[in-house]
Amino acid sequence: MNTNPPTEAVVLDALRQVLDPEIGMNIVELGLIYDVRIAGDEVRVAMTLTTAGCPMGESIRGGAEIALLNLEGVSSAYVELVFDPPWHPGMIAQNAASSSV
Amino acid sequence: MEATLPISAAPDVRAAQPKQARAAAPSVSLPLRFMLTGLVALLGAVGWIIARPSILASYHYNQYVIAATHLVVLGFICTVVMGAMYQLVPVALETKLYSERLAKWQFVIHVIGFVGMVWMFNVWDMKQVGHFGSALALGVGLFVYNMARTLWRVPKWSIVATAITAALTWFSLTILVGLSIAAAKCAYESTEGLATAEGVKQVVGGLQVVAGIVSRFDAIGAMHAHAHLGVVGFFVMLIVGVSYRLIPMFTLTEVQSKRRAALSILFLNIGLAGAVVTILLRSPLRIAFAAIAVSGLVLFGWELHAMLRARKRLVLDWGLKSFLVAAAMLIPVCLLALVLSWPSLPMNQSFGMLENVYGFLGLFGVVALAILGMLHKILPFLVWFGVYSPHVGRAQLPLTSQMVSERAQAGGLFAYLAGLLVISIAILRESELWVRVGGVLLLASLLLFGWNTFKVFSHFRKPQLRPLPSTKPAVV
Repeated sequence: MNTNPPTEAVVLDALRQVLDPEIGMNIVELGLIYDVRIAGDEVRVAMTLTTAGCPMGESIRGGAEIALLNLEGVSSAYVELVFDPPWHPGMIAQNAASSSV
Repeated sequence: MEATLPISAAPDVRAAQPKQARAAAPSVSLPLRFMLTGLVALLGAVGWIIARPSILASYHYNQYVIAATHLVVLGFICTVVMGAMYQLVPVALETKLYSERLAKWQFVIHVIGFVGMVWMFNVWDMKQVGHFGSALALGVGLFVYNMARTLWRVPKWSIVATAITAALTWFSLTILVGLSIAAAKCAYESTEGLATAEGVKQVVGGLQVVAGIVSRFDAIGAMHAHAHLGVVGFFVMLIVGVSYRLIPMFTLTEVQSKRRAALSILFLNIGLAGAVVTILLRSPLRIAFAAIAVSGLVLFGWELHAMLRARKRLVLDWGLKSFLVAAAMLIPVCLLALVLSWPSLPMNQSFGMLENVYGFLGLFGVVALAILGMLHKILPFLVWFGVYSPHVGRAQLPLTSQMVSERAQAGGLFAYLAGLLVISIAILRESELWVRVGGVLLLASLLLFGWNTFKVFSHFRKPQLRPLPSTKPAVV
């Protein structure tokens, strides 16, 4: 069984599986991911939401953790919600904005 | 080994202060019960127009006109707006609903109140209208209290919070004025035998004093003031204020000028306050206040246009298109408002029918269409949240846009607009036949909306979950 830690690109690809169901963009394209840290088989992510009052906050956070735990070489994943600085539309990835649904 | 990923647009999270995510919104069943009840009331109101087209095709206030108007306003608009506010105010203002339990009780009282009121207006029993109206007012009191306590918790005050506070104030005043008008039409001879100390006699005495005050004003003027307080003060104020939060959320943009947004709310409030007083007093100054309120709406339109130009989400869905068409319908409605508030306007049959068009377009063209547009967004989201939120990250999930038929949404909007056009012309021509034809078009639009609602709710029964590709090898 391969126990190599995942790369940042692999982590981001996993997080791209988590979509905002209303906007149709994933949380990476939306610019919600503030930081990714990988230490051995542990992944820590700091992310935000488009609004602090978002009712989906907890399910998106939990979903991101599940997506990370599905990765090969990851045995623990922690996703922390942060709201400082607040998200704004300028954080959306340029290519995602131009092709947004 | 530790690897970090500095995302290009990301700030330094090491300096960021983590906050606990807040479960802001109530359970999805709360807003859904309000919204479904409201849609049933709208269906009933459109059916009523088809069955009795004289409601719109003739200019006189009779019991059926007033009953049908209250079915639309209290049964559809108020019910849906209250349900939406329980859901959206905590989300938009980043706070928590004060009491979901209170909201559930308010729903029961509200339904008893509006159903009883519409029924009693229809048989023209004003004393019972007052009694059911008091029940409705109790519900509104609970709603306003719940919202006020929710607003009290708002961490950061904004123009949206100001608009919601103003809307709740105007709403409370609308109910008080409405009850006073009902009291003015009642006689309470049966209380003469009651002892002075009895509570009932004291309450009735208070009602008689209020009735005496209201009776000094022109009855039509009082009804017009009541209508403007509710429609402009509560509904339009909310449409304008909440747009400054919902349009950025749904189209990925930002308010472009906070000053312009604030002025739009200020002008709308000043204009409405002056318009209500001058309508009540039949003063020629009402044109000035109507113009102030219209300038507030012009600023709103300007800001809406600026926000949309700066949006990151280029494609607008049919829900947003419906909402924006409703906002555009403010243009003919504002023009009619200015014409009808012109000093020394002759009060003849033609201008009377123009008043009918003004009221019809205000309610169905602006408010009801804006609500239907937002329901295209809110209903799929609520059902999605109820069905799929536990599965995020575990399975491939449908988008909310995939839960509805876009063709049905588009067809529904065009049928609705055709219905508005046909009925508006039919009112001016006093044609009951064409009011009925327009009513059938509105009904067709609502049936398409109902079909989409059925599709959305079918996800409760049959969720569409597909497995995610996993990169983790199976343990052998």
